[in-house]
Amino acid sequence: MKILPPTLRDKKRYLAFELICEHDVTREELLREMFSCVGSLIGDVGSSECGIRILTFEDSKGIIRCAHTKTEQTRAAIATVTHIGGKRVIVHILGISGTVAGATEKYLEGIEVFTL
Amino acid sequence: MVKPKFYDLNVHSIPDGKNTSSEIAALAKHFGYSGIAITNHSNTESKPSGFEANNLEVFSGIELVSNNPSKLHGLIGKYRNNVDILIVHGGDEDINRAAVENRNVDILAHPITPKDSGLNHVLAKSASENNVAIEFNLDAIFKGSGGRRVITLSHFRKNVEIARKFDVPMILTSNAVSYFDLRAPREMIALAGLFGMDKDEAVAAISTVPAKIIERNRQDSGFIREGVEVIGIDNIDNETEKAGESN
Repeated sequence: MKILPPTLRDKKRYLAFELICEHDVTREELLREMFSCVGSLIGDVGSSECGIRILTFEDSKGIIRCAHTKTEQTRAAIATVTHIGGKRVIVHILGISGTVAGATEKYLEGIEVFTL
Repeated sequence: MVKPKFYDLNVHSIPDGKNTSSEIAALAKHFGYSGIAITNHSNTESKPSGFEANNLEVFSGIELVSNNPSKLHGLIGKYRNNVDILIVHGGDEDINRAAVENRNVDILAHPITPKDSGLNHVLAKSASENNVAIEFNLDAIFKGSGGRRVITLSHFRKNVEIARKFDVPMILTSNAVSYFDLRAPREMIALAGLFGMDKDEAVAAISTVPAKIIERNRQDSGFIREGVEVIGIDNIDNETEKAGESN
């Protein structure tokens, strides 16, 4: 199928985040927990509107994508993640950018994840 | 625009919570807070103390627990001059009422009672007159789940509505008992949006409202009471000199 012209594509925001935790967490664990928390807070309808997706996640930091009008709701939903695999965690949003490159350069490169 | 200073005025440390004050302070600093208040419950064995670490101010505070209004007033009198931040552990109709009627109380914490939102027009009026801030403890939202969270959200929404109408100061706190219960200021503001606080109100509730509480309780700020200000001897001399010159 032909790809949509830029004006018709969904506008996105990219949220750089760090995961503050005591134990290492895999991408799958984070994904599962995040979607369950987002689902329980804003439901299926809200989740579809936010269009949350984890783009990258390594060394306890990564990038989440969401719809550009829903950054606040996404932030709130992600703040409700409290446990992963029975261990306490905090997902801390470091910054929001309009491009993946911007989010990476501004907020992720050379940033040390806070260790407890 | 100047970046606002953020404060979290209801945090519990050992022995009330799970972590030491300095561990909590380190994470709060990382999240960009300018200050936090350690407010352990008065029925635990802990001594309120404040300190400053790495440009983060830690205020001494206490959360008074009582089930009897007259005993509560006694406790308020006992602790008022020893702590920067005085919080009343709400959640009971009589205690909520006693708290908002006492000028010496800074914050009424989690006023939600088992029956209702814990705030009505009468209490809101008193809270507004006595400058007692109503707390929205966001841990109930990010830690809670299911029906309980639904009820909390609707009570919070109602309380925002009432507080707005009567101009009651609103304050956002984490009510944290572990450093994993802390959230960054921007996340707190986003969470406040879930129950109808608009962005400006939420920013004020985590920056200017707590800043005002701190300001009025600072021992060295020269604050006497609302509307009274010490100008200082030097200034008075200058004023008289100026007056003399103009003559």
